[in-house]
Amino acid sequence: MRPFTHYDAHAVEEALTLLKRYNGRAVLNAGGTDLLSALKGEYLLHYPEAIINIKTIPDLAYIREDGDMLRIGALARLSDVVNSPLLRKRYNALAEAAYSVATPQVRNMATLGGNLCQDIRCWYYRYPRHIGGPIGCLRKGNKACLAATGDNRYHAIMGGKGCFAVCPSDTAVALAALNGRIKIVGTRGERSVPVTDFFHPLGNELKRGEMVREIEVPRITGMVRQTFLKFTLRRPVDFAIVSVASVIAVPRGRCREARIALGAVGPAPVRATAAEEWLKGKPISEATAAEAATAALTGARPLRMNSYKVEIAKTLIKRALTS
Amino acid sequence: MGDKYRFIGKATPRRDATEIVTGGTRYLNDIQMPDMLYGKVLRSPHPHALIKRIDKHQALALPGVKAVLTWEDVPDWRGGTPRHTRVLDRKVRFVGDAVALVAAATEGIAQEALGLIAVEYEVLPAVFDMEEALKPDAPQLYEEYPGNRVTPGMPFFGLNSLTEIVMGDVEQGFGQADVITEGQFGYENLPNPLPPEPPGAIALWEEPNRVTVWVSNQASYMDKITLYHVMNRHVETRSIGGPCGGSFGSKFMSWQVQSYAALLSRATGKPVKLILTKEEHLAVFTMRPASRMRAKVGMKKDGTVTAVEGTWLVDTGYYSMTTQAQVAVGCGEVQIMVRCPNWALQPVIVCTNRNASGIVRGFGGQELKCMLIPLLSLAMEKLAIDPFEFLKKNYVKPGDGYVWRDGNWYTYRGVDYAAAMEKGARTFGWKEKWKGWLKPTAINGATRRGVGVGVHGNADIGEDASEAYVRLHPDGTAMLFSCVTEHGTGQRSNFIKMVAEVLQLPLESVSLAPADSLINPYEFGPAGSRGTYAIGAAAIRAAEDAKGKLFELLAPLLKTRPEELDTADGIVFVKGNPEQKIPWRAMSIDRTITGFGRFEPDYTLSNCMMSFVEVEVDTETGKVTLLRVVNATDVGQVIDPPGLAGQLNGCLGSGGIDSAIFEETVLDRSTGHILNANLIDYKWRTFPELPTIDNVVMETPFPSHRFHAVGVGEIATSPGPSAILMAISNAIGTWLHAYPATPERVLAALGTLSHGEKKRGGA
Repeated sequence: MRPFTHYDAHAVEEALTLLKRYNGRAVLNAGGTDLLSALKGEYLLHYPEAIINIKTIPDLAYIREDGDMLRIGALARLSDVVNSPLLRKRYNALAEAAYSVATPQVRNMATLGGNLCQDIRCWYYRYPRHIGGPIGCLRKGNKACLAATGDNRYHAIMGGKGCFAVCPSDTAVALAALNGRIKIVGTRGERSVPVTDFFHPLGNELKRGEMVREIEVPRITGMVRQTFLKFTLRRPVDFAIVSVASVIAVPRGRCREARIALGAVGPAPVRATAAEEWLKGKPISEATAAEAATAALTGARPLRMNSYKVEIAKTLIKRALTS
Repeated sequence: MGDKYRFIGKATPRRDATEIVTGGTRYLNDIQMPDMLYGKVLRSPHPHALIKRIDKHQALALPGVKAVLTWEDVPDWRGGTPRHTRVLDRKVRFVGDAVALVAAATEGIAQEALGLIAVEYEVLPAVFDMEEALKPDAPQLYEEYPGNRVTPGMPFFGLNSLTEIVMGDVEQGFGQADVITEGQFGYENLPNPLPPEPPGAIALWEEPNRVTVWVSNQASYMDKITLYHVMNRHVETRSIGGPCGGSFGSKFMSWQVQSYAALLSRATGKPVKLILTKEEHLAVFTMRPASRMRAKVGMKKDGTVTAVEGTWLVDTGYYSMTTQAQVAVGCGEVQIMVRCPNWALQPVIVCTNRNASGIVRGFGGQELKCMLIPLLSLAMEKLAIDPFEFLKKNYVKPGDGYVWRDGNWYTYRGVDYAAAMEKGARTFGWKEKWKGWLKPTAINGATRRGVGVGVHGNADIGEDASEAYVRLHPDGTAMLFSCVTEHGTGQRSNFIKMVAEVLQLPLESVSLAPADSLINPYEFGPAGSRGTYAIGAAAIRAAEDAKGKLFELLAPLLKTRPEELDTADGIVFVKGNPEQKIPWRAMSIDRTITGFGRFEPDYTLSNCMMSFVEVEVDTETGKVTLLRVVNATDVGQVIDPPGLAGQLNGCLGSGGIDSAIFEETVLDRSTGHILNANLIDYKWRTFPELPTIDNVVMETPFPSHRFHAVGVGEIATSPGPSAILMAISNAIGTWLHAYPATPERVLAALGTLSHGEKKRGGA
């Protein structure tokens, strides 16, 4: 680690002011579980001059229903998300996704906002400085992507462009299926984007000087079935090779609405819209689930070493629908 | 057997247990010294390059920096076999190779200084594949190794050191075979033994030519010997070992890290601590060699192997210190597993531009079996031979023999392990679960179960020499001097137990001297599987020697002959008349009695472990789940039941069973970067995912030492990997021969990926 200036922010506005003052040379620290590995591994080309601790901002860890909207403060810890009776009851896909992250110790520190904003896991991107120097890439603003031709077993099978790293957030996948939105604040005001639009191939929607303030999910009503499945090499403490979140309503044996989100397949969680459309009005069976899974992966274009992810994604969709 | 002993075979608290679990144990990194500096290493970004220029002015100008050393500043210290690898060289040979060393007042300053060293390289072409490296136009790593072939043979093992297995007449052997199978097999995934504590050292140099090194090693006396040679045989080294946070063989040699600390101390006159980070541990420290074998075997209908012929390519990375030894031991161990009269197996050790391979438990035999058992399985399948029956039949039996590492023939004089194997098979339910080759044990929807079996054993239990002293004190206590560190197995406590048993002293009356080379006699250390037999024998003999001297001294006082005496609890008494007694303090308070014990190498005994595994394969995702392991062995005599269980349960870690499931070091074979040098991407089983492990332990007395024990040592990791591939192949009904069995490989073996492969190219 290198020296940096440390601030405790006591209000969102204070954090934003500091971000503005440092103009790209400061980073926010919520739980710190991801940030610390960047600070220690020094894999980024530029080291932050300042760390702005936002854990000291009061009243930003709420989980509540507010009219037609579920609202979760960016600082809600993953363990809060896991244990919230409200989420367990009505937004279980999100609670399950949060539960699938890391270890109890990490979940006690990590926040929902941080889980959404965490950096990618690409092993070229994260190659540590201390063993021959960091590896440059398009995401770092310089060289070509080594993963495109190198060992890309964990990389994108759809939607990669310039960078083939996948969105590492599990909660983003559940939120994508729940039609979640992310509320962003900056010194110039507030805006909200769908979770699926938050992630870009070379970064995310946050512009310099902005931060995530809240996560919004339209209130779930009626009988819906929610599932979150995550495929990893080991269990627990592993990032997804593929994950799937599904929210489906099947009144009287026919699918009224299906929302299926795929995780770890592209730079953002991917909604399987073709499969969702196709399922409407159909009964859910092994056969229709398999058809939907095939439809969901039609657009997949795996890299040299990751076509297996296509098969795993199909399997998870099938299992999520029929579970 | 256990009942007649006071301590042996009984669970007794480990001497260091309380300190470890309460955090009191002082590991290497806990040691602080006045004026101590911290060392860091600048590492190469290129897999192969010449250093054209190094500018260290800026680094030296940073306040707190005390020394910056490059290849131009250091003496010509060399490691390797033969000694050819300079401690700092003008040439770098892998991504992460040492370029410069920094000593500074804090770790942070040392780290910062690394970034201020400017290096200009002339990048050279690199080679990452052993067969590519053997081609005539391949980049050459060393002038001393034309064609990147490492000189075979291990000087330490003598002039006839085993470099190949050539015996009998393979042509004739193939002529007698009912089935001949051949193919290419690999064990190339470079699993890292990964002890929790990374390698490191603290060194204090004293002019003109003396150095004290605090080490973290399983064999601290050997650091003195290794460094003596590395430092051109004119530096007097004292090595001090302490509690070692695991080694699994790997930290047996840390000469580079130790040399770095010594060089920095030599340059500054201050003690220097240099501990690798976990990333360095994974990316630049030694790991298992990679192996590739092209071979042919002949087999008769009854499971008799008639001939083995082939080449065994061993990728040692950028240099070799011990790979020749690994090949020699591996060649010996494979003969213990397969009784075959006709061999022509030719190993070739190759250098490539990745970090070096070094010692890892299983030492050659695991690598060779991971390839040979799948090949033998092809023949067994053709002949419908049950692999359990095959392995049982072919494992060394009393009266059989083998050529061991020194090139000499030894006749095995231990027990027949068939009984332990059969007991293991019954515990596992092998007969019920084995449905024939490539047949699942059970099918449940998309999941299938399969079983496999593997075996390993080695005559390393009696390798190399050990020496020990036991000193008796007039207050009825004793101290063992044996240069053994505690590297996690509990052996230090076990040696105390052996001495206490010989002297019939309460355990708390026996202590063990620090593992300091200055005060202890020669000790090769608990390497191979030699702890219980070799080191134990030296400790027992030293205790017996001391006891004999005590009896000689006290016999006149009891008016009898020494042979008539016995001792317990610090009292010497006449056998048959215990009332005629005298306390140890009768030796006089100004006296101690020292006994000496030495163990001479003996390769006529071998240990053995058979592992049975059951896996479940999800045929729709390729996921392999390990459900159950049964390990079967005969240890002669259990010394410490919980310690033994720990050794056997160790079948999962340190590049063992899981090297067939998910453990691997991922090397980018175009750039030379190790991509998964962290514990998220290096897949390592966590405790919530442990399978059921049942251990079957028999105790048939061995003609080893006083307690008839042989131990299990390092062997627990080795039978597992090939057994896992066998189990997966049986579960999915088709052969899977690559380590580890990733979801991609399982799905490819199942033929599921053929469609996806066509669509490859650009997400």
